[in-house]
Amino acid sequence: MLTVAALEQSNVGTQLLTRIAGFTGFLQANGYGVSAADSVDIVDVAAQTGALDQAILRWNLKSLLCNRYEEWQRFDALFDAYFLPPNIKVFVQSDVAIGTPEETTTGDGDSTRESSATPENAKIDETRAAQYSASREENLSSTDFSELNQADQARKVEALMRRLARRLKHLNLRREVRSQRGRRLDLQGTIRQSVATGGTPLRFAWKTRRRVRPRLVLLLDVSRSMNAYSFFYLRLARALCNELADVHCFIFHTRITGVGEALRDPDPWRAQERLSVLAAGWAGGTRIGGCLQDFNREQGARLVHSRTGVLIVSDGYDTGDTALLADALGTLRRRARRMVWFNPLLNQPDFTPVARGMRTAMPYLDLLAPGADLAAIERVLPQLIESLR
Amino acid sequence: MDDIAGLQGQLESAGYIAESALAATLLLTLDLGRPLLVEGDAGVGKTEIANAFAKVRNARLIRLQCYEGLDVHAAMYEWNYQRQLLAIKLLEQDDRPLADKEKDIFSEAYLLKRPLLEAISCEESPVLLIDEVDRADEAFEAYLLELLSDFQISIPELGTISAITRPLVIITSNGTRELSDALRRRCLYQFIEYPDFAKELAIVKIKAPQAAEQLARQVVAFVQQVRRMELQKKPGIAETMDWTAALLRMGITVINDEGAERIIDTLSALIKTREDRTGFTPDVVARIAATC
Repeated sequence: MLTVAALEQSNVGTQLLTRIAGFTGFLQANGYGVSAADSVDIVDVAAQTGALDQAILRWNLKSLLCNRYEEWQRFDALFDAYFLPPNIKVFVQSDVAIGTPEETTTGDGDSTRESSATPENAKIDETRAAQYSASREENLSSTDFSELNQADQARKVEALMRRLARRLKHLNLRREVRSQRGRRLDLQGTIRQSVATGGTPLRFAWKTRRRVRPRLVLLLDVSRSMNAYSFFYLRLARALCNELADVHCFIFHTRITGVGEALRDPDPWRAQERLSVLAAGWAGGTRIGGCLQDFNREQGARLVHSRTGVLIVSDGYDTGDTALLADALGTLRRRARRMVWFNPLLNQPDFTPVARGMRTAMPYLDLLAPGADLAAIERVLPQLIESLR
Repeated sequence: MDDIAGLQGQLESAGYIAESALAATLLLTLDLGRPLLVEGDAGVGKTEIANAFAKVRNARLIRLQCYEGLDVHAAMYEWNYQRQLLAIKLLEQDDRPLADKEKDIFSEAYLLKRPLLEAISCEESPVLLIDEVDRADEAFEAYLLELLSDFQISIPELGTISAITRPLVIITSNGTRELSDALRRRCLYQFIEYPDFAKELAIVKIKAPQAAEQLARQVVAFVQQVRRMELQKKPGIAETMDWTAALLRMGITVINDEGAERIIDTLSALIKTREDRTGFTPDVVARIAATC
């Protein structure tokens, strides 16, 4: 393996190679999953294939350093920013984050104060919520994500999600696998074992139903009318992401954004930072239909399959077109196995699904569950698991 | 640059139009000996890369189609139990020592080679295509990782079989499941987009030389338009080829708004779901056809 030090002695162009080696650091700063080993690799490749041809270098580094489609899409812009004159390090923002951090800090701090209300004491007046939700504008003020790391509720939430995850493990498929014990004889395996005893099947092999966990897709409404519950659900989502591998989490308001990676970040402070960049528009207006349609178009085919449970958390206050919402929900419902809607307002005694969005959604749902606090979700857990079966 | 252009030319004569970036990556896979992970929508020609590359390198193509529940026995090796049992019965009369008999029964003659074992025991380096790896489960992925790092398989009864030559591994994924970071890290990555007009036209010309120049242009323009629409299942390159064949079969030599009715009859080759099909009314088809 050719190292940077070895190359520096050769006269391939020390400056150029150190510059190339520094590219991984630049990508790392832009959120790529690259390591120091990669910088050795790329210097190696550059030395082999020639670093002077810009196109070849670009293609080679692209296939070497990109690991997934999002990285693939952003690569060319980052490559240009790093290598092309005037070589100014411009942090190219991913297309999910529209406003720069500087922009998003301006504006009123209202949303921050409101969001500190705990779900228990938050009884949002429906009319007030409706008034708030009737905005199409994005909220540009920054959101304080430090709530996400509060310890008070965290343990309870984690315990509940662990229970849910454990129960989900017991969903069985029809496909069978070999096992020590089981209900059906595995003939092939039995014959295989009988080879050891001269063709007399003394020991039996068995088959059992394969266990499988359904994939979960969480769509969290973080518009202003949901403000009191957004953090609570984000915490739930993070606990669930840590328990189960196949959970995909999105937040939506006027746009839809994937937050799975940010929630999975093991460093809580980094997770906070990443979220606050992603959540531009948090606590603004709602366009459920448009967001779901975007989701269907961009993620639907990839994420939602016949074993996917889609969990939508929203109060159903929608400023968009109801026909659009019905259309998007219909498409999603056909793709998914189950569709469950959590509505935090459902706990209130005089609740009727009057919100336009909620009324539109009703025919497409397998389960409409209340979900204002942990206790409510705990109560609905058996039904939820049953509906995902 | 010459190598890349050379490989592109070779791939083209093997029936695959590759961008320079893809050719460069294929050369890099050869240089580094790393697997190549290819992602992209269904029908953009991911699998075809392996076919064409095998042809160019004059190598054998060994294909492993992944599916849910794929296990080691289907991917690596399995003993031929029936033959073994038969052999045991036949050897009962034999008075050779027991150890010899056992060696006989667990010899390579009774081993059924599945694609992965096949790939590492070839005399000449083959192209190993692991198709739709996202359909197999995580356990298999972990197993695959082990194979791709050591290129050896251990069979308890027989010992470890190391690769004579390293296969050239191409892995495709449709993205129905997120692949593990470990697998991604070990691979070079290539994302294949839907082809642009020029590329698709070149493909149609290679694959369907009987179509006239004008028809080929119109077909590609039409398909490109269709892809821009909101569809559940966008037509891939295979669909374009099917549709071209369907048009030729129906004797349609020109696409224009007057022939919309006849074009609709052939659309079953292009549009594959009922919802999408309902969007293609004669008006819509005529409008698209008029712009071609």
